[in-house]
Amino acid sequence: MTEIASDESAQHVLPCGLVHDLRSPLNAILGYSELLIEQTHDAGHDEFIPHLEKIRAAGQQLLAIMEENFQSC
Amino acid sequence: MRRILLVEDNEMNRDMLSRRLQRRGYDVMIAVDGQEGVRMAQEESPDLILMDMSLPLIDGWEATRTLKTAVETKMIPIIALTAHAMSTDRDKALAAGCDDYDTKPIELTRLLGKMDALIGALS
Repeated sequence: MTEIASDESAQHVLPCGLVHDLRSPLNAILGYSELLIEQTHDAGHDEFIPHLEKIRAAGQQLLAIMEENFQSC
Repeated sequence: MRRILLVEDNEMNRDMLSRRLQRRGYDVMIAVDGQEGVRMAQEESPDLILMDMSLPLIDGWEATRTLKTAVETKMIPIIALTAHAMSTDRDKALAAGCDDYDTKPIELTRLLGKMDALIGALS
C-alpha cells in the first residue's frame, strides 16, 4: 500500500468530486494518445510511437494511482 | 455498417471516441445532450447507443428511461458511460434500463467487446 493510501486525510485532500472530475480529462489523455499511436503507425512514422507510448503509460499510471487510493469514489 | 449514436457533452471525449469508433468501421452519430440524444434515437433508430450519464438538459438516466419505455426505441441497446466507478452506478444504470455499463477512462477493447456482445461483431 502506498503512503498516501495509509493516510486517511488524503480522502479530504482529494474529495470524490475532484476524483470524478479527473476522469474526463484522463479519458481524453489516454484515448487521444492511443488514437495518435494508431494514426502515427498508419502514416509510417513509427519513430514517434515510443514518445506517444510514454504519454499513454503516464496516463495509465495516474489512473492506477487513482483507482488504488480512491476506490470509494 | 453499424450505426452508433454517441451521446456525450464533453467535446474532447466526444471527438476522441467517435474518431476511434469510425476507424473501426462504425458510422457514428453525435448528440451533445440528453434531449438531443432522445430525439436522434427516435429519428435515426441507431443500432446501439453509447450514453454518457452526466448530461445537460436531460441526464443520461432520464434519457434512458424515456427511450426504454417508448415502443419505437425500447429495443435499441444502450451502454451507459460514466465517470463513476462505483458498483452502485452500475446497478443504477441497469435499473434505468441500460443493457450494459462501462466507466471512463474508456478502455476501447473492453468497450468494443460489450458492443459486439449486444449487436454482433463487425465482419
